[in-house]
Amino acid sequence: MAGPLSNLRVIECGNLVSAAYAAKLMADMGAEVIKVEEPTGDLSRLWGPFPGDEPHPEKSGLYLYLNCNKKGITLDLLKPKAQEVLRRLAAQADVLIHNYHPRQMAQRGLDYAVLSQVNPRLVMVSISPFGQNGPHSGYKGYDINVMAAGGWAWINGWPGHPNEPPLKAYGYQTEYQAGVTAALTAMAALWARLRIGKGQHVDVSGQEVVASMLEMTYTYWPYMGMVAVRWGERPIHPVDFFECRDGWIFVLCVEEHQWQNFVELLGNPEWARWDVFANRLLRAQNYDVLRPLLAEEVRKWTVEELYRAASERRIPFAPASTMGDLLRSEHLRARGFFVTISHPVAGTYEYAGAPYKFSATPWELRSPAPTLGQHNREVLGGYLGLSDEEIDSVTK
Amino acid sequence: MQEVRKGPLAGIRVCDFSWVWAGPYCTLQLAHLGAEVIRIESTKRICVTRLLPPWAEDRRDPNAAGYFNQYNQGKRSILIDLSRPEGAQLAKRLVAVSDVVVENFAKGVIERWGLGYEELKKVKPDIIMISMSGYGQSGPQSHYISYGPAQVPMAGFSTLTGYRHWDRPMHLGLSYGDPNAGLHAAFAILVALWHRHHTGEGQYIDMSQWESTIALLGDAILAQQMNGRQPPRLGNRDPMMAPHGFFRCRPAEPGTLPEGMLLEDRWISIACRTDEEWAALCQVMGRPELAQDPRFATLEARKANEDELERIVEEWTIQQDPFEATKKLQEAGVAAFPPLCNKELAEDPHLAARGYYVEKEHPVVGVRRHLGIPWRMSETPCEVWRAAPVMGQDNEYVFRTLLGLSQEEVNRLREMRVIA
Repeated sequence: MAGPLSNLRVIECGNLVSAAYAAKLMADMGAEVIKVEEPTGDLSRLWGPFPGDEPHPEKSGLYLYLNCNKKGITLDLLKPKAQEVLRRLAAQADVLIHNYHPRQMAQRGLDYAVLSQVNPRLVMVSISPFGQNGPHSGYKGYDINVMAAGGWAWINGWPGHPNEPPLKAYGYQTEYQAGVTAALTAMAALWARLRIGKGQHVDVSGQEVVASMLEMTYTYWPYMGMVAVRWGERPIHPVDFFECRDGWIFVLCVEEHQWQNFVELLGNPEWARWDVFANRLLRAQNYDVLRPLLAEEVRKWTVEELYRAASERRIPFAPASTMGDLLRSEHLRARGFFVTISHPVAGTYEYAGAPYKFSATPWELRSPAPTLGQHNREVLGGYLGLSDEEIDSVTK
Repeated sequence: MQEVRKGPLAGIRVCDFSWVWAGPYCTLQLAHLGAEVIRIESTKRICVTRLLPPWAEDRRDPNAAGYFNQYNQGKRSILIDLSRPEGAQLAKRLVAVSDVVVENFAKGVIERWGLGYEELKKVKPDIIMISMSGYGQSGPQSHYISYGPAQVPMAGFSTLTGYRHWDRPMHLGLSYGDPNAGLHAAFAILVALWHRHHTGEGQYIDMSQWESTIALLGDAILAQQMNGRQPPRLGNRDPMMAPHGFFRCRPAEPGTLPEGMLLEDRWISIACRTDEEWAALCQVMGRPELAQDPRFATLEARKANEDELERIVEEWTIQQDPFEATKKLQEAGVAAFPPLCNKELAEDPHLAARGYYVEKEHPVVGVRRHLGIPWRMSETPCEVWRAAPVMGQDNEYVFRTLLGLSQEEVNRLREMRVIA
């Protein structure tokens, strides 16, 4: 059946993750997404991972994952004729999401001032590292810079290691979060369009998206005049990784009853009754004593045994999962999380699936990521009536 | 307080049973977009974020908690004891006049109170409800409980992230699964509203925080299948860029940093993807000859000689102030920025110029500088209309004005301790 967004057409342009993930979220719910790549292809085609570690533009895992369910066309946006083609596509679209630098879109005659003339009902979402205005709006920022500017990198490290640098998270996480925010605000602007009858421009700032998700650490400054540091000790314990016989587990006792249940699971060792471990704050203060005692106990278990035994006692431990663990997970399998997709060049793999399950309007994977320019003729010929010659002149 | 409701979701009402961080982060987005979000709290079950530091000047008052006050801006709060039948009955009356229900309890909790989707559908047939549990509503582990910090290792971030010279799992500095689930959930709700508008049909959304976190690692899932191993821990490096990392800067002058910071703990992030960016960095470092140096002239060469490359870059950064170096590098077209701490984030001139900060009067903590809305909309501007609520701040409005209870009914429920 058609997804809930099947009455929407979305144009996506840019590179790497943020715009692509935003458009993927909409495509997976049924929207028709036309992905516009430069003739050399989205940079995510270079990123990998690749089968056998051999780079190939149609076999990059990052690209394959982010671009299922989309139509792919190429446009050389440095050419005025190609810019005109994009304007004509925008005239027929509901949403345009991009992550080009603010200056680039204006230089190409593709900023909102122009596109809203072409299509007043268009919702345009511009994702950028620092937003469309303000003194840093001209700044460049890749994921690591945005993670720094948003305050996340500063707090990511390990207690007791002030000499290590701030640490980046795996993958382009700030782009994923900007991407979800872009999809969310695109939907909000579409909702508003039902009422006001016209589209609008949405400015998503990566720095602000990241700063908005710093848990309680930000407010230490305005509330207590304190700086949160990545190497600071945790206020409660145990909240730590421990090594089991066959891997690592995350031991987490937030509530007192969870600690009590854990102690019971360990067979009530005598030290667990010591006054110095009487509550979560004391356990943190005396953690240098507690950690080796716990480590010795945890080492007797396998990850799976301890994780299951703890979880059955409602203690929220977690394995330090590898990708192989996830692919083998009975729970994820039972929920049908992974989805098999065959791509004509890259081959057949299981992909991470739906982040949510809708009762009435299912998420679905309909088609693999497009090969470079796969839908040039369908879209540019079919929707805009361009001749083959015209298509060649703008897509290469 | 007279409400000035703006934003694209003006007119949408959200009945918010959620607590801690993932659920409230979802409803924060909806509040930012102009929906009326009513949080149902209870004195028996106070939100964890009210009970954790920081509190204003360390006064341990649930109404003075920075964590809560950051993530509940622009929402209303009422107090109902949902474990009492009369409380659940009252909550249903609120659902009957709402568009959306959000909850993130462990599986089964909301059903035990008689507030599961099947029940709520009876009072509001087109209601949109989302449950955001750790493991989802089905599957052999759906009865396990999950806390925010556990999602990071469970989804695989801990084995992928980390310093290259450390052979151990790492965390991410925050419970990343929570805000990620919150954002995805907010998007899902808008999709369901879109569907409802076109068909009249509501629906139930089962969200697993675990799955929505794995959705951020789709490339690594494929890597495992392509090559039988997952991507190695790269520290701050990147497969497609070099240099790419945090480089140590000149120590701060004594007395210039707040208490608790170390003078040597000064860094700058620098990332070069193209050879042009690398050449520009060489210019700024005063070593233009390095751009032609065969060890560094191409990305491939820079990746092959990355240790030496990083040593050379740090030779320069160690003499620089991170903010001054950022200015020089950005002017030359190089992506760079210092890792901001919370104080620097609160005093960022760019964020101030963009109007990102929110400073609203709060009944207990007064005016504090909160972080605001990470987007701007040209036609339906979004605005935080009010600071986070104190517990039960909107009892009167919700019970009397919205639900039309008589003063006698309110008094009776209060005496029964169903409401506070």
